[in-house]
Amino acid sequence: MSEKWMLLTILLPILAGTLVPLLPWKKRRDYLIFIELAAVATSVLVFALLLNHPSGALTVFRFTGNLSITLKLDGPGGFYAALVAGLWPFACLYSFEYMKHEQNERSFFLFYLITYGVTLGVAMAENILTLYFFFEMLSLITLPLVLHTRTREAVLASRTYLYYMLGGAAFAFIGVIYLLTYGETSSFRAGGVLKLSSLGEKADMMLVVFVLCFLGFAVKTAVFPFSRWLPKAGVAPTPVTALLHAVAVVNTGAFAAMRMTYYSFGVENLRGTWAQYVLMGLIIFTIVYGCSRALKETHVKRRLAWSTVSNLSYILFGIVLMTPLGLTAGLAHMLFHSVMKITAFFCAGAVLTKTGKAYVHELDGLARKMPFTFTAYLVSGLALMGVPGLCGFVSKWYLAKAAIVSEDLPALIGVAALLVSALLTAIYMMSVVVRAFCPGKDFDESAIAGASDPGPAMLIPLGFFVVLMFVFGLCSGPVISYLTRICAAIV
Amino acid sequence: MNMVILLPIGVPILVGMMLWMSSFAEHFRKEKKKKAPGNRIALYAVSILLLTACAAAAVVLSWTGDRQLTLTELVDGIPLYFYIDDLGKLFVTVVSVIWVLTSVYCYSYLKEEGADKRFLGCFLALYGVLVGLCFAGNLVTMYLFYELMTLVSTPLVMHNRSREAILAGLKYLFFSLCGAYAGLFGIFVLNRYCDTLVFLPGGSLSPEMAVSYAGILQAAVFVMLIGFGAKAGMLPLHAWLPTAHPVAPSPASAVLSGVIVKFGVFAMIRVVCYVVGTELIRGTWVQTVWMVLSLCTVFMGSMLAFREPVFKKRLAYSTVSQLSYIVFGLSLLNPAALTGALLHVVGHAVIKCGLFLTAGVFLSKYGCTKVSELSGIGKKQPKVLWCYTVFALGLIGMPFTAGFVSKWNLAVGSLTSKTGVFAVLGPIVLLISALLTAGYLLPVTMHGFFPGESETAGRQGNPEKERTDWWMLLPLLVLAVLTVLLGTFPGKLVSYFEELSGLLIG
Repeated sequence: MSEKWMLLTILLPILAGTLVPLLPWKKRRDYLIFIELAAVATSVLVFALLLNHPSGALTVFRFTGNLSITLKLDGPGGFYAALVAGLWPFACLYSFEYMKHEQNERSFFLFYLITYGVTLGVAMAENILTLYFFFEMLSLITLPLVLHTRTREAVLASRTYLYYMLGGAAFAFIGVIYLLTYGETSSFRAGGVLKLSSLGEKADMMLVVFVLCFLGFAVKTAVFPFSRWLPKAGVAPTPVTALLHAVAVVNTGAFAAMRMTYYSFGVENLRGTWAQYVLMGLIIFTIVYGCSRALKETHVKRRLAWSTVSNLSYILFGIVLMTPLGLTAGLAHMLFHSVMKITAFFCAGAVLTKTGKAYVHELDGLARKMPFTFTAYLVSGLALMGVPGLCGFVSKWYLAKAAIVSEDLPALIGVAALLVSALLTAIYMMSVVVRAFCPGKDFDESAIAGASDPGPAMLIPLGFFVVLMFVFGLCSGPVISYLTRICAAIV
Repeated sequence: MNMVILLPIGVPILVGMMLWMSSFAEHFRKEKKKKAPGNRIALYAVSILLLTACAAAAVVLSWTGDRQLTLTELVDGIPLYFYIDDLGKLFVTVVSVIWVLTSVYCYSYLKEEGADKRFLGCFLALYGVLVGLCFAGNLVTMYLFYELMTLVSTPLVMHNRSREAILAGLKYLFFSLCGAYAGLFGIFVLNRYCDTLVFLPGGSLSPEMAVSYAGILQAAVFVMLIGFGAKAGMLPLHAWLPTAHPVAPSPASAVLSGVIVKFGVFAMIRVVCYVVGTELIRGTWVQTVWMVLSLCTVFMGSMLAFREPVFKKRLAYSTVSQLSYIVFGLSLLNPAALTGALLHVVGHAVIKCGLFLTAGVFLSKYGCTKVSELSGIGKKQPKVLWCYTVFALGLIGMPFTAGFVSKWNLAVGSLTSKTGVFAVLGPIVLLISALLTAGYLLPVTMHGFFPGESETAGRQGNPEKERTDWWMLLPLLVLAVLTVLLGTFPGKLVSYFEELSGLLIG
């Protein structure tokens, strides 16, 4: 396929999104069909692009010299685009039922679709500037989604969101400038664009800049000490928390950090330096910290958000191991975690719309009325815990393997942290499940009288994701070998 | 053709899950119809028959021919792999016998309405999971079924839905998972250094690896022993056992205490004898700490049982203690001691299952929870109390009972092992513990038959002799007979175990 299709893929959801509030729709159904069609068409385009890989790059716009907006579909980018493309249509479908209960539906879908395009832009960015451009765009375009309910809580949350995002981008910008100044090229290049020999005494400076830049991008991934925004942003409607704050936005942070590590600064320059260990320390701490906070949290969506904080650091852990196996594991966890966490959030959202219950202690006995929802929640909980046969185990296995093979002491501590976090995960996920399935003898059945499973628009995505968790868990071979191929080419 | 291995694993799991689901479906019906009593009998008859069929299939499969089955790749080139070996055969037979007998007992015990399907569902599914665990041919497959075992048995602990039961269930779940994750850590490490995670008698770790990476491998094995020890109620992760076992319905406590805890031991044997080999830890700090922990647990469990007034809790502490007999036998890394340990696996499974089932009779018929309330019970349920006495004598280790054979072998193994002070210390602790066992079990018989003039005597209401409930008595009788048979004609079994032990520990 020609390179131009990449641009079209990005523009399609953006244009379609803009049309949602502009066109005079007669019925709700009409624009819902339009939205779903747009999302599906984009996803089809993405997969078509992946099957007929365009080899070249497409320069959309040139500012000056080597500063340009350029698109290219390479291994990890294609993987990330596929991940996003696989989830978005289902998330849209889910939103149709969810958004019935919310105001300003059309403005919601406007931003929801535009975000799709922007995320694809991140995946297809060919150079540092393009990545930065889409990265910033993503922060700004998702802000209205956090703000959506217009409550005081939402306003405060969106303010926090903005501060963290802009602050992170500012740090990342330092890295961008540095790379543009000292790098041999502005494009991403496997192995990095910096030559240690040409840097001379600025080599130490490079490490400082790398740490700043990595953390700047990782603000989106909610690494400690920048994790506070993510649970707060849980006030947004559930489709946003599920797809953006568990998948698209946060994974973009991890993806950008990966680009910096492997394509810009270069692992050869970084491996074994203090920079690697500082980052690894922070990440390992985040793994345990996120889970502990999740345990303490009684609001279901915020609990899941803290769990996301922890799980995203699994991905970052794989990335900072700086080995092909580590990167494979990190990317695998990016995919598997997306599926698991989106399921858990969708369940929480289904409970929220059907019963208005948002806290853990309100869920007693609900599984009797909403068996499918809670079965899906159970499966996603088991997957997050890492029960073999479900996808969470696979990525955990490879992460641990990568860490142990590296024979680094900090990496071994990381393995221990993974397992501690698995135990904490079991506690915070299973305590919800047990409440829902086994309420005490004296529980009041009238409290859940009106509840029932949601309609097909919600159940279809849930069912699909549950099946996906099993499929990835039982036949992970193709995914892993695909990722191994990509990663071997990078490192 | 080897797909047939999946039969005794898959069928109970599927049927069990369907039963469990259908217990949910009842909540959807607008009107709750009173079920005809015939339904209940039919439900049980079908379940028991199904279970018996699966059990027969599993046992026949495991004792006829060499079978293995490779299924989908779970992770990293490691498939879901089943292989029926000597250890698996042994455990699957024990599980099957206990399961069939307990399922018969359940009929009279569970009277609460609507709870049948929920309980039977879990009970059946758990059987399938355990068969899978026995047949698992590599560490990852074993880990899968080990996790499933924890998850499926948790609803059994929570069955009666009191606040206490639910908290106990959570405690059980989290302790077990903690142990399982410790085991998983070890699996991660072993995967790096062992050639294969497939079980091979004597282990698959190459001697060069064992020497050059001794430090990390020993640490990993130690973490695994502690982790799998959680299930076997070994210090330091034993605390869940006395909480969880007593609150479960008695048939569930019987299988939890009689069978499930043994799988902690099973996993330890798999790791030590089938993956890393005994040479890695023989004479190292790992073995020493392991022996110390198991002996401490033996002593602590017996002491706590001795001073415990609640009957089922006393039995649970007794399990803590008795399981560590087995662990101690294993930790000596000596063929004779391992023979004793394996014999105790069989003997204790039969005996402890029987003890909990008798406790269940007293609990369900008279509501007696404390030992003190049991005085005079022999007047009403003489047959049951006689069975109890046989079990008690078996656990103490009287000759002509199962307990004697195993303890004899344990003691011999300990004395002949070259473990320094532990060679002597072991039998001493076992003896003290046997005395304590007599002290905490026999008073029930004595006061049961001879209540004397104490004020609590006959508190169980009607002093008349009760009609015999054959659903409950039959399994008890079978277990009692088994206890005696295992102790009287142990020859075949002992020689089988000696052969196996010789194979595992060269």
